[in-house]
Amino acid sequence: MATDPQVHSVWPRIEPLLTGVRKPARYVGGEDNIVVKDHADVDSSWLLIYPDAYEIGQPNQGIQILYEVLNERDRTVAERAFAPWPDMEELMREHQIPLFSLENHLPLKAFDVVGFSLAAEVGYTNLLNCLDLGGLSLRADARADDDPLVIIGGHAAFNPEPLAPFVDVAVAGDGEEFVLEVDEVLRRWRRDGRSWPREQLLAEVGRIEGAYVPRFYQPRYTDDGRLAGTFPRRKGVPYRVPKRTVSDLDQWPYPKKQLVPLTETVHERYSVEIFRGCTRGCRFCQAGMITRPVRERSKETVKQMVAEGLENTGLNEVGLLSLSSADHSEILGMCGDLADTYEGTATSLSLPSTRVDAFNVTLADELIRNGRRTGLTFAPEAGTERMRRVINKMVSEADMLRTAETAFANGWRHLKLYFMIGLPTETDEDVLGIAELGLKVLAIGREHGRKNKVTISVGGFVPKPHTPFQWCAQDRPEELQRKLGLIKARVASDRNLNLRYHDPEPGVMEGLLARGDRRVADAIEQAFLAGARFDGWHEHYDHARWLQAAADAGVDLDWYCWRERGADEVMPWDHLDSGLEREWLWDDWQDSLREKPLDDCRWIPCYDCGVCPGLDLQHQTNHLPLYAGQS
Amino acid sequence: MRVRARYAKQHRLRFVSAIDLGRIWERALRKAGLPIGYSEGFTPHPKVSFPDALALGYASTGEYVELTFAVPVDVGAAAAAFNRAAPEGLRILDATVVAEGAPRFAKWLRASLWDLRYPRDEAARLRDGVDALASAEHIPVDRERKGNITRLDLEPALHVIAADGDTVRVVLHHTEPPFRPGEVHQALRAAVGAPLREPRLITRIAQGSPEPGGIREALSGQLLPGTRDEHAAAAGQTNRGSS
Repeated sequence: MATDPQVHSVWPRIEPLLTGVRKPARYVGGEDNIVVKDHADVDSSWLLIYPDAYEIGQPNQGIQILYEVLNERDRTVAERAFAPWPDMEELMREHQIPLFSLENHLPLKAFDVVGFSLAAEVGYTNLLNCLDLGGLSLRADARADDDPLVIIGGHAAFNPEPLAPFVDVAVAGDGEEFVLEVDEVLRRWRRDGRSWPREQLLAEVGRIEGAYVPRFYQPRYTDDGRLAGTFPRRKGVPYRVPKRTVSDLDQWPYPKKQLVPLTETVHERYSVEIFRGCTRGCRFCQAGMITRPVRERSKETVKQMVAEGLENTGLNEVGLLSLSSADHSEILGMCGDLADTYEGTATSLSLPSTRVDAFNVTLADELIRNGRRTGLTFAPEAGTERMRRVINKMVSEADMLRTAETAFANGWRHLKLYFMIGLPTETDEDVLGIAELGLKVLAIGREHGRKNKVTISVGGFVPKPHTPFQWCAQDRPEELQRKLGLIKARVASDRNLNLRYHDPEPGVMEGLLARGDRRVADAIEQAFLAGARFDGWHEHYDHARWLQAAADAGVDLDWYCWRERGADEVMPWDHLDSGLEREWLWDDWQDSLREKPLDDCRWIPCYDCGVCPGLDLQHQTNHLPLYAGQS
Repeated sequence: MRVRARYAKQHRLRFVSAIDLGRIWERALRKAGLPIGYSEGFTPHPKVSFPDALALGYASTGEYVELTFAVPVDVGAAAAAFNRAAPEGLRILDATVVAEGAPRFAKWLRASLWDLRYPRDEAARLRDGVDALASAEHIPVDRERKGNITRLDLEPALHVIAADGDTVRVVLHHTEPPFRPGEVHQALRAAVGAPLREPRLITRIAQGSPEPGGIREALSGQLLPGTRDEHAAAAGQTNRGSS
């Protein structure tokens, strides 16, 4: 407890251990732009945790934004923690050192709330490990009245059911406004000496729009084991909990003072979201479905954020982030202005997540100016036009080859193409189409230079909640292996065609956690108790351990992962309202099976996915719809 | 314009590797808005060079860097701007413009002055250990590399050693291969023949040329004696001879 004089910094206890662990800079804090406040001077305290290694979690935008939003408040403190690497965990357990924050090195229990950012399902066992190392009960209903409140957010929180027994509150959607509203409740709780019964605390937080309190809901199952529904257990609790959506990104210009790590991380750049949401409508893409509608940040705000962000950090790389960056209505002007500003300096600009078209080569050329043209990355996602119609990734082969031609002609030397296998209705011809497309692109590359290279990267598709593919069957790992074999055999002979692929086995665990219900929680706990940590890391993932954990928990992988759902199947996340109409998702699923594409609703009339009217919002973009009849 | 600086790497920054520290330097220079020069080519690198690297875990007030600026700068103001921009624990202590044709910096860095600070109750054992090492003809230390243990003699590298309460101060010649203060600890532990706890903190105080009884600090030319009491009393003005 923050008010407990027994709670001191653990720094004197970890300092002597740090020369005995790998990458000790992960645990020291001290980064540029860190905010260190005295807990005696605050009325509420947050511990924000990204449950993966420091170098993965530190650059996370969600953590960074909430850290600033909360710390800008007087008398509120937010600190950060990350999952300790196994060598550090071992020492912490041996010396009985609890999970600690990086700012004041205070134990987890010194905070009022512990907020986890969950970008993906692979962090679930690390989440349990963080709670356990922090000295909290894994099960929410076993926690004391004055224990910290455990909240989860991030994309994986759109189906919180597999974590339901372990968390107090889940929130889907944008966190900026939500955390401030929770902070008000925390202050009242603190004023009363954290003496409220746990139920009262949960009820108070549960009144905030977007707060889902799993304990207030009861799943019911039919005799054959299917979900009948997830129902409120008490009065005043909504049947469906809406996601939170921030409407004007220019009002939330974060990060302003991005934390700069002392040690190497996965992204060392100043990152600014140029818009949120995406209406391309790719049917496999959970991010595109759950973040609607499109909300653009204005060119002027982006430019100002970049200028100040670089000044405040000393970084020399800028990432313009979004789900499909080239779709910003002012993208060319934005890139041009930024490139003008930083031309001739050591500052570089990057635009991740771009579609396959020649316009993107223009943008890439603009950003790189006279620099070295090395690699360009595109995501055709599927190898044949038929398959791309099914997933609604609408790009023709002719477009793709033209894009490759433009890229190689403009001096780019290496194209990377991202694909998925295991998509619904996929045939061997579709799979081989990936190899064929790679070879065709390579042939174009060769015309421009003997050393030009093509990499095709292939991942196994995992169906996700709140998407049109939430009903489909996931491919088994053996089947994915067989399909990978087809591609390998086809491209084996060409050394300038690089094939990269992921082991399909972790996809089983990911699929189980993605579409699991509350019964899957036992499997997660079993896996954790059996030693599962860092499941997203190849060297730590143990498939047999997960299979055993599922079996011990009575969780049938066949049923959760490899079964196609019917129209009337109740989903474990149906009571979490992403704004998308279930009927629309189903119709889009049926359209996909008929290979019928759907255009982007920024330029065609609204097709009633349900999000905008539900939020009383519209797209915030300067694009003119094509149907408005401009030339 | 070339500038040489002595800087401190302390506190939490002592857990940062030499590679990471290089990046921290570059970012702090940019954040301070200093006109650092860049190499030519497609991927220009800022002209920041370090004559040697400090092992992870040690603190230091005796690290050195050479910077090349694209345009002349006021050295004092530049150091102050850098110190405002740098994370806590990284701080320029002294800086000077390099004269045209000056010898390579590494030439001046021939010995290091180290402080090994122990838990308080080790003082008596430290005195015994230091006395033993100061009069030893050979000081064997074992170094493990890839499973092989090599026995080396620390004695020729040990220029000065003195104990002052909980602290052992040593001057080590920069030999090839170099000896680390951790190996001085190993030798002390062997010499006292009793369990000696690990030092709480090891700090490189300065580098420079070995002089009788101490070292001449590379940048300022100031003489630093190898014992702390003399250092405090005389502020390094005179050469007191070997301890």
